[in-house]
Amino acid sequence: MHPWLILLLPLHALASTKKPHGVSPELAARYIPVQKGSSEVWECLDGSKTIEWSAVNDDFCDCPDGSDEPGTGACPNTRFYCVNEGHIGAFIPSSRVRDGLCEPECCDGSDEAPGVCKNVCKEVGEAYRERVRAEQKLRKTGAKIRSTYIAFAQKEKKRIEEELAQTEREIATREKEVSRLRDLVERTESLSAAALEVRKQSPLYQILMTHVTALKSLKREYQKHLEREKALGEILDNLRTGYNPNYQDMAVLEAVRGWEHLASLPHINDVAKEDDSTADTGSDEEAGEEEEDQPDDGLWSELQLEHQLDELLNTDYEALLLEHDKLVGAPASETSILYNLSAYLPDAVVPQYEALRDQLVSWLEALGLVKSAPTVSADASRLQKALSDAEHSLDLTRKEKEQKEKELQRLFDPEWYGAEGEWKKLDGTCLSKEVGDYIYEVCLFDEARQKPIKGGSTFSLGHFESRNNAPGVVKGSPEYYRKQRYTRGAKCWNGPQRSVTLDMTCGTENAVLSVAEPEKCEYEFKVTSPALCLPLSPAEEKGYAASKKEEL
Amino acid sequence: MWAFCSLLALAAIPATLAVKAHDFKTCSQAGFCRRGRALSARATENPAWRSPYSIDASSLALSPDQASFTAAVKSSIYPEVNFGLDIRIHDDGVVRVRMDEVGGLRKRYDEAASWALLEEPKVSHSIQWTVAKDKVHAKYGAKNNFEVVVAYEPLKVTLSRNGQEQVVLNGRGLLHMEHYRTKESVAQSKQGIAVPEEGFDTDDSQVVLEQAHPRAAWFEGETEDGWWEETFNSFTDPKPRGPESLSLDIDFPNHGHVYGIPQHATRLSLPTTTGEGAYYSDPYRLYNADVFEYLADSTMSLYGSIPFMQAHSADSTVGIFNVIGSETWIDVGRPTLKATTTHWISETGILDVFILPGPTPADVFAQYTRLTGTPALPAHWALGYHQCRWNYISSEDVRSVQQRFDEEDIPVDVFWLDIEYAEDHKYFMWDHKLFPDPVDMIKDVEAIERKMVVIVDPHLKRTNDYPVYKEATELDVLVKVKDGKTDYEGWCWSGSSAWVDFFNPKSWDWWKGLFKINGPSYGWHWTESTENTHIWNDMNEPSIFNGPEISMPRENIHYGGWEHRDLHNINGMLFHNLTSQAVMERSNPPKRPFVLTRSFYAGSQRFGAMWTGDNLGTWEHMGVGVKMVLANNIAGFSFAGSDVGGFFGNPEPEMLVRWYGVGAFAPFFRAHAHIDTKRREPYLLDEPYKSIVRDILRLRYSMLPVWYTAFREASVTGLPVLRPHYVAMPHDEGGFAIDDQYFIGSSGLLVKPVTHKSVTEETVYLPEDQVYYDYFSHQAYRGAAKGKNVTVPAELHQIPLLIRGGSIVPTRERPRRSSPLMKRDPFTLRVALDKDGNARGELYLDDGETYSHREGNFIWREFAAQKLTKKSKGVRISSRNLAAQKPAEAVDHVALAKYDDGNDFAKSIAGVRVEKLVVLGLPAKPTSVSAGDKELQWTYTPGISASEKKEGTASVLVIKDPKLSISGDWDIVVQV
Repeated sequence: MHPWLILLLPLHALASTKKPHGVSPELAARYIPVQKGSSEVWECLDGSKTIEWSAVNDDFCDCPDGSDEPGTGACPNTRFYCVNEGHIGAFIPSSRVRDGLCEPECCDGSDEAPGVCKNVCKEVGEAYRERVRAEQKLRKTGAKIRSTYIAFAQKEKKRIEEELAQTEREIATREKEVSRLRDLVERTESLSAAALEVRKQSPLYQILMTHVTALKSLKREYQKHLEREKALGEILDNLRTGYNPNYQDMAVLEAVRGWEHLASLPHINDVAKEDDSTADTGSDEEAGEEEEDQPDDGLWSELQLEHQLDELLNTDYEALLLEHDKLVGAPASETSILYNLSAYLPDAVVPQYEALRDQLVSWLEALGLVKSAPTVSADASRLQKALSDAEHSLDLTRKEKEQKEKELQRLFDPEWYGAEGEWKKLDGTCLSKEVGDYIYEVCLFDEARQKPIKGGSTFSLGHFESRNNAPGVVKGSPEYYRKQRYTRGAKCWNGPQRSVTLDMTCGTENAVLSVAEPEKCEYEFKVTSPALCLPLSPAEEKGYAASKKEEL
Repeated sequence: MWAFCSLLALAAIPATLAVKAHDFKTCSQAGFCRRGRALSARATENPAWRSPYSIDASSLALSPDQASFTAAVKSSIYPEVNFGLDIRIHDDGVVRVRMDEVGGLRKRYDEAASWALLEEPKVSHSIQWTVAKDKVHAKYGAKNNFEVVVAYEPLKVTLSRNGQEQVVLNGRGLLHMEHYRTKESVAQSKQGIAVPEEGFDTDDSQVVLEQAHPRAAWFEGETEDGWWEETFNSFTDPKPRGPESLSLDIDFPNHGHVYGIPQHATRLSLPTTTGEGAYYSDPYRLYNADVFEYLADSTMSLYGSIPFMQAHSADSTVGIFNVIGSETWIDVGRPTLKATTTHWISETGILDVFILPGPTPADVFAQYTRLTGTPALPAHWALGYHQCRWNYISSEDVRSVQQRFDEEDIPVDVFWLDIEYAEDHKYFMWDHKLFPDPVDMIKDVEAIERKMVVIVDPHLKRTNDYPVYKEATELDVLVKVKDGKTDYEGWCWSGSSAWVDFFNPKSWDWWKGLFKINGPSYGWHWTESTENTHIWNDMNEPSIFNGPEISMPRENIHYGGWEHRDLHNINGMLFHNLTSQAVMERSNPPKRPFVLTRSFYAGSQRFGAMWTGDNLGTWEHMGVGVKMVLANNIAGFSFAGSDVGGFFGNPEPEMLVRWYGVGAFAPFFRAHAHIDTKRREPYLLDEPYKSIVRDILRLRYSMLPVWYTAFREASVTGLPVLRPHYVAMPHDEGGFAIDDQYFIGSSGLLVKPVTHKSVTEETVYLPEDQVYYDYFSHQAYRGAAKGKNVTVPAELHQIPLLIRGGSIVPTRERPRRSSPLMKRDPFTLRVALDKDGNARGELYLDDGETYSHREGNFIWREFAAQKLTKKSKGVRISSRNLAAQKPAEAVDHVALAKYDDGNDFAKSIAGVRVEKLVVLGLPAKPTSVSAGDKELQWTYTPGISASEKKEGTASVLVIKDPKLSISGDWDIVVQV
C-alpha cells in the first residue's frame, strides 16, 4: 500500500514570471520576492509572516490576511483581479475563483483554470461601451428636458416674487383699514362697554350663555363620537374584507358577523362565494340608511345638527341682548349711543366727531351691517364684526404671503424641488400604473393612492414625507434625489400604515414602470423622470463624442 | 353599541396572539378518548379488574414452517362477537400482533400498514412456537434470550429478554375493540336482557344518555357515550358506523423513559400525562392538524403523526409501532422511575402492533426502518441553505434577492416560492402579471447552480378554467362527502376547493403526469417548469378553513368506501409520496426529488423532508423546535428542520442570529417568514449580525461532507442523522433526558445550539471519560465516566460545538455561493485524537443528485489515526477504501457485490485533494511528518495532549497540502 500521490498542475506556474495571477496593478509592485539565503521569500501584505515565494499562489492559504493567494481562491474573503484586456479590469471575491463558473466580471476567463472559460472581452467590452453610450444618450436627452424644468423654476421664481410684491402691497392697504376700524371700535366700545356690562347681568343672558357653553360642549362630544364611530366602522369594514380566513380565528369571524348584522351587510364569504363581481354591498348600505329612525317632532335631524348648529352658535349674543332690550322697552335702547354721543363730548371735538360718525354710518350702511337708525350698542358690535372681518382678511393675505414665501423658499430647497428647482415642474404631477386589479397613482410631493378598477374605495398609500433619508445619504446628492418616501397612508388590517418608496431613475418620461409590495402594505414604485438626468460631465461629454464618432 | 364594539375589539386583540386551543378537541371532547380514559379509570379503581378478552385454545393454528399462528379471540362481554388474532415473528425478531373483528357488520380499516410499510416483512422460518395449556410461546434470538409469551386467558402478549419483561400488551386489561353494532340491535338486545329500572323516567327528554348493554356495563361503562353522533364547535359528526374504537395498554415494566410519537411540541423524553403528578393532563394526541400559532409546550396534535414509540433504559431499548391511521391518543404514566405505562386509544382500525425487541437503539432503528424504510438519501444541494418567504413577489424580486446574496457573498442553494406565485392560488399556474418569465427566472437561479422550490398544495380551486381541477373531476378522483358520490367542497387559500383522493390509484399516474415538463401525460402538464424546480407540499393534513378542527369532515368518503376518519393521519403522506415520485420521474434518468411536507406519517421519511410548521418567533419556539426535530429524527424521519427566524413575528437581530445557529445544525435548514413580517434575509442585517450569520452559513457549508456522510448512514442503517444522548450513549443514564444537545451522525461532533437570550456561555454535558475539543478554539475539555458538565463560551458569534476525541471530521472550507460549486474544492481533515491517541472518521460522496450511486458510482472512505506502535507517541494517519471493504453496506436499497475504484464518480473527483490536516492533542512536537518518502510541510503549536487529564488549549499540528487525493489510499506518518 504505497502512498497515492496525485499530479497537480503547479498553479504558480500559471503566474508566469510577471506579477502573480489575480493581483491588481496597484498591488503588483508588492508581489516581488526577496532573496534570503538560497531561497526566495516573501512577506504577507500585513507583515505578519514571511513565507517561501513558492507558497504564493500555491493553492494553500498561508498568510493570516490571505494575501499569499491572490489568484487561487484558497484564502477566503480576498479579492481576485481580472485584467480583462480589451475591456476594463475587475475584482471578484475569492469565493468565485475556480468555482467552475465563468464570471461575467472576468471576461478574460482568468478566474477559472485554463481552458474552462473563453476570453470574451472583445464582445463584452463592445457591449459595455454600447451600453454606456446608450445610457449617456438617454441622459443627454433627459437632461435637455430637465433644463426646461429648471427654466420653469426660474420663471416660477419670478412669478412668485411678483405675486409676493403684490401681496405685500395688499397687506399694507389692509393694515391701514384695520387700524382705522380698530380706532373707531375702541372709541365706541369704551362708551358702550359700561352699559353693555350692566345688561349682561340679566339672568336671561346668563342662562343663555350657560346654554351656549353646554351646547358647544355637547357638540364637541358629539363630533368625537361621530369620528369614533366612523373609525370603528372603517376598522370593521377592513376586518370584514381583509381578514385572513387561515387565521381560523373564531373571534374575528364573530366580530365580522356581528358587524355585518349591525351594519346590515351580507356575509363577506357568501358574497365572495356567489360571485365577486356581483357583490354589490353599496345597495345594502343604502338600505341600511333608509332604516334609520326618523327624528321626533320638533327635534333636529342629523342633517340639521350638522349644518345649523354652527350657525346657531355663531349668533352675536351681545347684539341679541341689545335687541332684546329694545323689544322689552328698556330706556337706554330708545336712543342710540352713537347718535347721542355728541351730548357727552367736549364742544371742540363735536364737529370732527359728527363728520366721522356720518362717514362711519354710511360705511356701515354700505356694508349692510346697519340699517338706518341703528342703536349705538348694536352699532358697536357690528363695528366689531367689521373689524374682525377686516382683520381676518389681513390675516388671510399675510398667510398668503407666508405661503408664497414658503413656495419661494422650497423652490430651490433640496428637500423639496431640488437645488436647481428641477422638480418644481412636477409638483402635483400624477403618475399612475395599472397593476392587476388596481391603479396605483402617485401625485408627486403630495399623495400616493391605490384605486381599485372594479370599484371599491380608494386607499391612500401615503403623503410625501422625504427624499432618501437612509443613513449616510448626503442631502442634495444624486442618491438623495433617487428616492421619495410617502408615509402615513391608510392603516392596514392587522398591519402598519401604508407607505410607498419611489425608486427613481433618469428617463425621458415621467412614468411609473412597476409597482411592488415587497412587504405587506409597504409599496415600491419604480419611476423614471427627466428630473434625474444630470447633464454629462465634460469628461463624459468627450467620451460620448468619441464613441459617437466610432459609431459612425 | 359602543360597548359592543369595544368588547369585540378587546376580544379580538389577545385572540390573535395565541393558539385557538378551543378549535381543537381535548380528550374529554372526543367520545372515544373519553370512553378510553373512563375504561382505564374503571380498571384502576377495580382491583379485581380482568380483561374480558381470551384466546380460544382450540382454534389455535400454527403455520407449519413459519413463526406465526392464528387464533380466535372471544370477549366475555359479547360472546356472540368473534375476533381473530394473528401473531408472527419476523426475521429480525420483530413481533407483529394483529387482531380484527371476524364476521362483523362491516370490515374495520386494515390498510394503514400497506401505506406505511416498505414491503411485506419476511416472517422468520427458524422460530418455533411451543403450545402449552394456558399459553403459546417462542424463544429466539442469537442467544435464544428473547421470549414471546401469549397467554390465553385473559389475552396478554409479553416480550421478554433474559427473563426480564420488555413489552407487555393488555397486561392491565385495557384492550377493547368496540365491535360494529347498529343502533337498533343495541336497543333490541337491551329489551331482551334489560333489568327493569325503577325510578327511570323514560318520558324525561332531558335524559339523553342511553344505557349500555348491561352485561358489558362493568367494562364499557353505563352509557352509550358519544356512540352515534358527536358535536364539536358546531360541527356534527354523524358517525354512521357507530362506536368502533380501539383501546390497548402497552407497558414497559423495565424502562424509565419513552420517546417518539411525534409530532408534539414537547420534550424528547415524553413527560407523563396520567398518574400522580402527571406533567400534562391530556394524553398525547395524534391527529394531523393545522394548528395556528401552536403552543410551545403541549400534548396537542400538530401537523404529522408517527405512531412509533421507543422505551429506553441503560441496558435495553425496545420499540412499539402501532400502525393505525385514525385519530389516536396516548396516555403515558410512570408508576415507578424505572417503569412506563402507555395507553393507546384510537378512533377506528384493526389492532396491528409491531413490537421491536431492540435491544440497542441501533437495533430498534434498523428494525423500524426495515419496516417503514430508511430516510431517502437527499440530493446534496438540499442540505444547503434554503431561503424562503411568504412571498417573493415577482421574478424581479427573486432575481434581486439572489443578487443581494451574491453581493454579500452569503451562500444559499435554494430560493422558494410560497402560494402567491400561483394565479388565484391555482397551483402550477403562474401569476404572469408578477412572474411573466418563470422559466427564465428559474434559469437565472440555476446559473449559479441553485434550485427553486415551488409550492403545490392539495386543495384545488373549483373552477373549470383550472385544468388540474377539471381533469380531477373528469377522472372522478376527488374526495367525496358521506354519500360517497358528491365531490366534497371546502374552503382554503383558493376559496371553494376540492381535494384529490390519493388513495384512489386512478389519481397516481395522472398526478405524476402533471409535473412532466414536456409530456406525455394525461392532459395538462407543467411546461413552465424545469428539472431544477422542486416542490413544497403544504396544507396536507389536510387543512380546511371551514372544516371541523380546520380539517376534513371525518365522515367523508375515500376510495374503497373508507371514511376519512380511518386514514386521516396517512392522508398527508400519500400526497407527499405521489409528488415525490412525480418529481423523480420528471427527469430521465431520474434525479433525487426534493419535496418538503408539513403533514407526515410513518414512512414519510422515504419521500423527502419535513419541517415543524408555523412556529412563532419566540425563544420558546426556537428551543422546542430543536427538541421536535430530534423527536422526528428518532422516529425515522431525519430530514427535518424548523423555520429559521420563526414563521410569525419579527425576531430581533440577536434572536435571528441564534436561530441561524439552530438551523445550521438541523438536517433541513430553511429560513421562512409570514407575509405580515418585515423582510429579514441575512443581507438585511446590520453589522455585526450580518457577518455572524454569514460565518454560520459558511460553517454549515464547510460541514456538508459531514451531513452528507451522516445521511448515507441513515439511508442504509436507519440510524438518525441527529443523535440525542440516549442514542449515542445508550448506557449513560445522565443523558437520557437531555434534548438540547446532540451528536451529528457518527461524526463525533456534539453541538448545543443556543436558544436563550443574552447567553454568553453554555453548559455542555460530557457523557464519558474522554477528551472533547472545542471546534473553533481547540480548547480540550474532559468528561467523566459518570458524566460531567463543562462550561463552553457562547457569545453571540459562538456556537458550542465540540469534537469528541477519537473523531476525524472532513470539511471543505472554501466559501462558495452554492454547494454544487464546491465540488472541485479540496478537503480539510480535523483529526481529534482520543485519550489513547487514536481517531477515526468517514466520508461519503457521490454525484449528489442521481441514483447512479446505487450502481457503484461513489466513494466511501475511512480515515484513521493510530499510534505507530503501542508505546510510540507518533501517529499514522491513513485513508482506506471502506466501499471496497463493505460494498454491500455502502448505499441504500441495494447490496452491491463489489466496488470498482474506477467508477465514473471517483474518476470525476480524482483531482480533488486533501489540502490540510489539523491534528489535535499530539503529546509533543513531531520530528517528522511524511507521506511515503516525501517530507511534508507542517507547523506545530504546543498545547494540551489528548492523554493528559488537564484542560486547556490542545496542541495543534497543521499539515500543509500533502497533495493527497481524497479518494485514494494513503498514509501520513507523524513521528514524535
